[in-house]
Amino acid sequence: MEHVVLGIDGGYPLLVLAWLAPLAGAIALWAFGPRVRSLGGPIGAAICGVAFLALLPLWNAATAIGSHAYLFSTHSNGIGAAGASAVASYSTNASGANAAAVSTLAGIHQSLVSWAPGFTFGLLLDRLSLVWALVITGIGFLIQVYSIGYMTGDRAFARFFAYLNFFVFAMMTLVLSDNFVGLLVGWGLVGLASYFLIGFYFDRPSAVKASRKAFVINVVGDIGILFAIFLMFAAVGSAGYGDVFANVAKLSPGMLFAICGCLFIGCAAKSAQVPLHTWLPDAMEGPTPVSALIHAATMVTAGVYLIARCAPLWNASEESRMLVGTIGGITALAGALLGLAQWDIKRILAYSTMSQIGYMIMGVGVGAYDAGVLHFLTHAFFKAQLFLTAGIVIHALADQQDIRLMGGLRTRQPFAFWSMTLGVLAICGIAPLSGFWSKDAVIYGTLERGYPALYAIGVLTAGITAFYMFRLLFVTFFGTYRGAIDPSSLGIRHPELSGQAVEPAHDHHEAHPTSILMIAPVAVLMIGTIGAGLLWIAGWRDFFAPAFAGAPEGHGAVFLPELGSTILVTAVVLVGIAIAYVRYAAPAALREAIERLRVETVRMPAPLAHAFYFDVAIDALFVKPAQALGRLAGTVLDPLVLDGAVRETSIVTAWLGHLARSFQTGLVRAYALTLVVGAACFVAYYAFGAVR
Amino acid sequence: MLVGPEQYIALSAVMFSLGVAGVILRRNPLIMLMSIELMFNAANLALVTFARAWANNVGHIFAFLVITVAAAEAAIGLAIVVVVFRKTATVDVDEIALLKG
Repeated sequence: MEHVVLGIDGGYPLLVLAWLAPLAGAIALWAFGPRVRSLGGPIGAAICGVAFLALLPLWNAATAIGSHAYLFSTHSNGIGAAGASAVASYSTNASGANAAAVSTLAGIHQSLVSWAPGFTFGLLLDRLSLVWALVITGIGFLIQVYSIGYMTGDRAFARFFAYLNFFVFAMMTLVLSDNFVGLLVGWGLVGLASYFLIGFYFDRPSAVKASRKAFVINVVGDIGILFAIFLMFAAVGSAGYGDVFANVAKLSPGMLFAICGCLFIGCAAKSAQVPLHTWLPDAMEGPTPVSALIHAATMVTAGVYLIARCAPLWNASEESRMLVGTIGGITALAGALLGLAQWDIKRILAYSTMSQIGYMIMGVGVGAYDAGVLHFLTHAFFKAQLFLTAGIVIHALADQQDIRLMGGLRTRQPFAFWSMTLGVLAICGIAPLSGFWSKDAVIYGTLERGYPALYAIGVLTAGITAFYMFRLLFVTFFGTYRGAIDPSSLGIRHPELSGQAVEPAHDHHEAHPTSILMIAPVAVLMIGTIGAGLLWIAGWRDFFAPAFAGAPEGHGAVFLPELGSTILVTAVVLVGIAIAYVRYAAPAALREAIERLRVETVRMPAPLAHAFYFDVAIDALFVKPAQALGRLAGTVLDPLVLDGAVRETSIVTAWLGHLARSFQTGLVRAYALTLVVGAACFVAYYAFGAVR
Repeated sequence: MLVGPEQYIALSAVMFSLGVAGVILRRNPLIMLMSIELMFNAANLALVTFARAWANNVGHIFAFLVITVAAAEAAIGLAIVVVVFRKTATVDVDEIALLKG
């Protein structure tokens, strides 16, 4: 069988180093963590930095345009002649041609293991995985530096960094794999790392519950991808990216939609898409740097990566684009609406993450891959920055997370204030910050490709986003400090459990001075928050043009030019900011801030306060029946059927034993009689039987 | 009256039956051993009778073999009886039921 191997095959030790260094770091910190103690943080951060630096020299090789797609025969190992034609065709209008699909994965390839024909594992670094790998290791490095300051004094300091390194390794496996099986391995391992880190404070029941919930929902997604792999093997006979993409044209539309749908189940679970999003807000139980790295910047965008990676599949399936775009749009809107109702600073950011990933999924879903991927990049910067800033605030306020009990932090925490302001402006899409370019591109991309309903959702969501993010900013940093007043005057009934909130995310409750280790990474992230969006006008589309060849072209919006759309979105955003200002930061609002917050707390609409009842519904539909099934198995199936069968077997055996015992009388004469009777029978048989 | 093989075989059968009855009915191990000897010798008598009737010496050889084995068997059997008697102070085989399951 001919196998299509993507990327220029060769030996790239730096790539293997970048992939395995975090694993080595994780194992070393696991094994020697208690001994290195406070050195664990610097070691972990340094290893992640090494992985980042190891990727940089590969930039040219990974992005070079040349004859990238080769047909390899597993028997001869010879290079086929398909490469040249593949390169030739991706600049033209490639409507589903095999060669064009193959060329989407230009880059470098390092073969590692081959345990069966069609079942190999190697590393693939092309433009798409390069962007992800740099973000994972780069932002991973910054956040580990931040964590050195944030986690100081924690009992399990080194274990924390072991987990973080393990996560980086798992995520690198996910994005560097050259086939779907390797991707699924990484996919499962990041879920495991996420489980470890959400449940990092494993002595807190709520954290354990949240980690279990996240793990179970993520496994639902893993099963989806597993089934997609089964279908690929059934249809194509291989799970290598090259093999699958080269055969897209041979797949029936139904099979293609089934594969895309199964893959999207995985995306929805990992990337917190409706209705599998409920684990993400609860995941805020983990330490704040974890929320920044895993549950905002990298892991939750794995779904975006997968769809962008599988662009040839989505290009060929209109229904899949419709499905994914719609779910993405719904998620963007639902996340934004739920963000309105939160009082916990981390939960607000969690819902905004969900909403922004909705944007990304909507973008890559409708075929605006480059816009969706750019939004991933800019979001990684500004959301990591927002989370880390929130961490600074939480850290300084002795683990207070309820924004109603903050207020007036502008003067007490000037750095946090300015950083938060910058991040909020970026996420709202104020020009020229990064979020402006990417969000605008995603929103306009939906209109260009003929999805006006998604466009309307995108614009509306942008306005709501502006409102709730500025609400967060105003309530936290403006007015007067409310930390000392009685929580009940704000309508908080149980101060420890404000809202559906999370308990404090740290296990030692005192105010900390903010260390330089926490400020420096945020300052570096600011550069990206401000500048990353400029990549859009610096040739981002051209950079990814080879990767997303054959994407559905925008027909150009018929009734709204791009500039008009930009003005519309900005106007809606400004309206959202204005409403937030009037409600929370105008002089009149600040005077009666406490009363207003109390009224808002008490009168929160029930659907919002209960997160649209998703948890209740999932509980009733799946969790409760599963628990009932478990109880049934525990009370009926196990004791009666399974144990019953075992017990019956033993009873019958014992009864047979009793029967056999009764022959063993121990009486010699009885044995003798048996012998005689036997001998008599023997004689009788020969004496009389022989006659007949 | 001419004494032919039939009479020898009849005697052998009677002796054998007496031996069987002795083994099954008596409870004294010494008597049981003697009954076993009786059965051996009944068998010997039959062997010798057939050997003579068919002019074939194999039967004689077998009879000698059986005599030898019977002597060994009697020696071991009597030794066991003595040991058991010393242990249990009884000579009733029904009370010596050490192998009862």
